[in-house]
Amino acid sequence: MPRWGMVIDLDRCIGCGACVVACQAENNVPINTEDVYHQRRAIEWIRLERYWEGEYPDIKARYIPVPCMHCQNAPCEPVCPVYATYHTSEGINMQVYNRCIGTRYCSINCQWHVRFFNFWEPKWPDSLKNQLNPNVTVRSRGVMEKCTFCIQRIVKAEHQAKLEGRQLRADEFTTACAQACPTDAIVFGDLDNPESRVARLVSTAVNERGYRLLEDLGTEPSVYYLKKVDLEAPVEEHSSH
Amino acid sequence: MQRYFRLVLFAAVMLVVLAIPVAAVLARTYFLAPTTQPVKAQPIQFPHQVHAQAMGLDCTFCHRGAITSAQATIPALEFCMSCHKVIPWQGRPELEKLVQAFERGQPVQWNKVHQLPDHAHFVHAVHLNFGFQCSDCHGDVAAMGKPGVKQVRDLRMGDCLTCHQQNGARTDCSVCHY
Repeated sequence: MPRWGMVIDLDRCIGCGACVVACQAENNVPINTEDVYHQRRAIEWIRLERYWEGEYPDIKARYIPVPCMHCQNAPCEPVCPVYATYHTSEGINMQVYNRCIGTRYCSINCQWHVRFFNFWEPKWPDSLKNQLNPNVTVRSRGVMEKCTFCIQRIVKAEHQAKLEGRQLRADEFTTACAQACPTDAIVFGDLDNPESRVARLVSTAVNERGYRLLEDLGTEPSVYYLKKVDLEAPVEEHSSH
Repeated sequence: MQRYFRLVLFAAVMLVVLAIPVAAVLARTYFLAPTTQPVKAQPIQFPHQVHAQAMGLDCTFCHRGAITSAQATIPALEFCMSCHKVIPWQGRPELEKLVQAFERGQPVQWNKVHQLPDHAHFVHAVHLNFGFQCSDCHGDVAAMGKPGVKQVRDLRMGDCLTCHQQNGARTDCSVCHY
């Protein structure tokens, strides 16, 4: 049984936003208009957090792509009154849309703000009507939605392996965000398969400069980040923890 | 009696009002069950009987996607015409419709018989690969004649789950719902 995970190398991330666009296209995420942002109801299964480091003119833009962390000890799961969000045997935090009644407790309990509520019936411009992915449910008004690690691709690859009578190969497929990333900053795969790129990164680079967002909350996220390597940065006091 | 008239009237009205949703649910379960739906009219009365029974064609001869993909797929008109261009069609109204559609380059708008909701994803290939026959879910389509194909199995979630449990398949929500 695989255990899916992701490594995001912030040293490679250039903040282009291709992952965000690819995710929107793959997962039938509605188009966010300007007023949706003003209302803070934008839906972005993976979002790009930008922050500034330093003072002008010595200022640097830093980016962190933030998908759902797929915590192994997820705070969103125990609060759902109808078990609409649950953990699959493959380590994915899933949202069952047809079971969700929209209490939004899960999004309140999520510290990463990666759960999104459909306040309206999703709408697409007419020119995009035919680009919807038939393998992904279009979520209706009143349900939560979130990153699924592109489960439709996982299921498809697993079915294909089953049809060919073999085991799932390492890095046979990847998520839409990882596929679209021009600098290969996002790596997705099976953490339990030692041959997969993600497992190799976890056993090497993650030991040197890896961390997980809000790791100290103890939720065991499945998404690892690799720290930016900044050669010009002043040498920090080595902090122990 | 006069004294309790309003109370009795109120109780009677409430009973009727409360009975409406119950009756609606029962009606939905019994009268609107997928298996009791009338046969849907199709643009061309396609005789499965002739193709699958008399000719003895395999289901997957036309529904090729069933062995390889999620959808069973309905063949393109070109595929029908690979046989039907040599089969005389003059004077046979249903076949004339087929040939006319082919000549105009218009696809036939078949009506879907087995409707699954959008949030349920069914994959034909893995079920057939496991060893199921088409008829396990679709019934004896070969014997369904001119009126058209009818849904014979409930195919609601309980039906799927029972079969999954009996055959040791996963019953994780995310197996079908994503």
